[in-house]
Amino acid sequence: MDIDTNLKREVAELINWETTLLDRREWDDWIDLFAEDAVYWVPSWVDEEHTVTDPETQLNLMYFQNRGGIEDRVFRIESRDSYASLPLDRTVHIVSNILVAGVDDEEISATANCLVHSFGKQGGQTRASLYDFKFRKNDAVLKIILKKITLIDDKLEGPVDVYHL
Amino acid sequence: MDGSFQKSGLEALVDDRVDEGVFRVDRSIYTDQDIFEAEIERIFEKGWVYLCHESQVPEVNCYFATDIGRHPVVVVRQKDDSLSAFINVCSHRGALLTPKKQGKAATLTCRFHGWSYSCDGRCVRIKNEKEGFGEDGFDRSQYDLNPISKLASYRGFIFGSLVDDVEPIEEYLGAAATWIDLMVEQSPEGLEVVPGSSTYVIRGNWKMQLENSVDGYHVSTVHRVFASTVRNREERESLKGLKQTEGGRLVGIVPSGAYDLGNGHMSIWAQHTTPERRPVFKKKEWLEANLPAAHVEWILEKGRNLALFPNVMLMDNPSTQIRYVKPISADRAEVTVYCIAPVGEGAEARSARLRKFEDFYLTAGMATSDDMAALEDTMAGSFASQAQWSDFNRGLKTMTHGADEGAKAVGFDPVSSSESWENETLFFGFYRRWRDMMSASD
Repeated sequence: MDIDTNLKREVAELINWETTLLDRREWDDWIDLFAEDAVYWVPSWVDEEHTVTDPETQLNLMYFQNRGGIEDRVFRIESRDSYASLPLDRTVHIVSNILVAGVDDEEISATANCLVHSFGKQGGQTRASLYDFKFRKNDAVLKIILKKITLIDDKLEGPVDVYHL
Repeated sequence: MDGSFQKSGLEALVDDRVDEGVFRVDRSIYTDQDIFEAEIERIFEKGWVYLCHESQVPEVNCYFATDIGRHPVVVVRQKDDSLSAFINVCSHRGALLTPKKQGKAATLTCRFHGWSYSCDGRCVRIKNEKEGFGEDGFDRSQYDLNPISKLASYRGFIFGSLVDDVEPIEEYLGAAATWIDLMVEQSPEGLEVVPGSSTYVIRGNWKMQLENSVDGYHVSTVHRVFASTVRNREERESLKGLKQTEGGRLVGIVPSGAYDLGNGHMSIWAQHTTPERRPVFKKKEWLEANLPAAHVEWILEKGRNLALFPNVMLMDNPSTQIRYVKPISADRAEVTVYCIAPVGEGAEARSARLRKFEDFYLTAGMATSDDMAALEDTMAGSFASQAQWSDFNRGLKTMTHGADEGAKAVGFDPVSSSESWENETLFFGFYRRWRDMMSASD
C-alpha cells in the first residue's frame, strides 16, 4: 500500500519523541502526546508463545483504558515516595523497525520494535518489546490513542514501569 | 561457609526464648548458601509443597509442570478425572518431558530419543525397542515414570510431597484450612485461575517473600504512595463503584489482626472501610443466604492474606491471588502470580478484579514493585554479620495464646492471635517450623 511519505515521517518522529521524553523524564510532555481516551496496554503471556488477547477478561501487566493510567504512574514517580522509583532507573530506548501499517478512517496504525536498556541498583539490563501504536489526527496534530507494548521478557527483575516500556 | 551445614547451629540461628521476651533470627538464614541447600533437602523435598490449582489441569490429559525442590514434577489429569503427579523426567537420559508449562497430551513423548509415556505414567513406547533390547519380552515397565509419594487436593488447591512420611493434608493445613474455605465457599461454582500470569525475580531470599505477604507493619509506609495515587485518581476521574479502590488498610486506620496458624502457616486480616468496592460484594445476598454469618462478615468486610509453609500465599482482598515462590539460591527466588476468581463471575466484577490485581500485585504494578525494592535492600543488609539479628518480638506482650474472638466466631484454632497486623508474633510459627524441619533427624 502507498502511504504518504510525510505521514511516515510524522509517525516516526512521534514515536521517537515519545520514547525520548521518557528517557529524559519530561513526564508532562510525554503525557501530552496521548489523547485523553488513549489506551495503554501491556499484555501478559498466556503461555510461552501467546499473549492474552482480551484484556477485559484476562490478566495483563498493565491495562489503562484511558490516559489516567499513565497519569497515575507519573504522579507516583514524582511523589518520590515510591520505594521502587527512588532512585529512578536510568533508561535509554532504542526504537527501530518503525512501519506505518495502514490508515483507516481517521486512525493510523504503526508497529515498531524497542530495546530499553535500564541501569539501577542491581546493575544494567535490557528488555525488548514489540510496539503496536494507533494515532489520530486532532487539528493536524497526531495524538497517540493506543500504545500496546508486548514485552517479550518474563522472569522480570526489578520494577517494570512506564519508563521501561 | 565450609560446604557443610550444621544442625547443631540451628538453636543459635532461631533464638526462641519467648518467656524472656526474645524471638529473633540470625540474618545469615537469608544469606548462607549452605543453609539454602539444606532448606531444599529438608523442607522442600521432605514435606508438603503447593503444586497448582485444579483449574490449571481442567480436562483429561491436561498437564501442569512445576517443581518440588530440585525435582521437576508434572501434574496430570487422568481418564477417571483424578490427578497424578510424576517426576517430569524421561527415564532414558533425564530430559524434561513436558514441552511447555501447561498443555494437554494423551501421551508425553520425549523429543530427544522419542520415548513415550501415557498420562498415567506408563512407558508405552521405546523407539526401535526390538533392535535395542532384543525380541524376548523386554519389560518396559521398569521405565515407567516415578510417581511422587503423595498428592492431595484441598478444595482444589493441589499439594505434593516427595516423601511418604507426611501428615494427611487436612492435618498439615490445620487452622489454615478455614482460611482456604473462606476463599472457596464464596463461589458455588468453584474457582478458576484466570489466563495470564507474571513471574518476577527477587534478588533476595525466598523466606522474605513469605514474610512480606503477612507483614502488615510495612503497609502504611511502603504503600502510602499507592493510597495517595489512587485517591488522586478517584478525585481526578470521579470514579464510582467497583472502579474505586478500598484503601482504609493502606493508611493504617482500621482494625486488623494476625495469626500463627501452626505448622508454619501464617495469616493477617484488615477491616475494609468500603466493602462495596469489592467484586465479591455483588454476591452479598447469596452469601448471606448460604453461609454462616461470621464467614459472610469475614468474606465481605475483611481483606485476608494467607501464607502456607513453605511456598505459596493466597490473598483474598478486593482482588484475589495465588502467589507461588520457587527458591533458586540464597539470594534469588522466582515468584509467579496468578489471579484466581469465582467461576461464572459477571463481566463487571471480573474486569474490576483484574484491574485491581494489576494495580497492586505485579512488579509492573504500584505496590509489589515497592515491596520487592524493600526486600532487596533487606537482602543487601543481611550480609552485615555485625548487625545480625532480626527481632520478631513486636506485639509479644499483647499476644493471645490460641483463638481470639474472631477466630472463635469463624471457627479456627490458631496457635496464637494478635490484635494488630503490625505485630510480628505470627512469625514464631514460621521459624519454629523451619527450625524443626531443618533439625529433623535423617
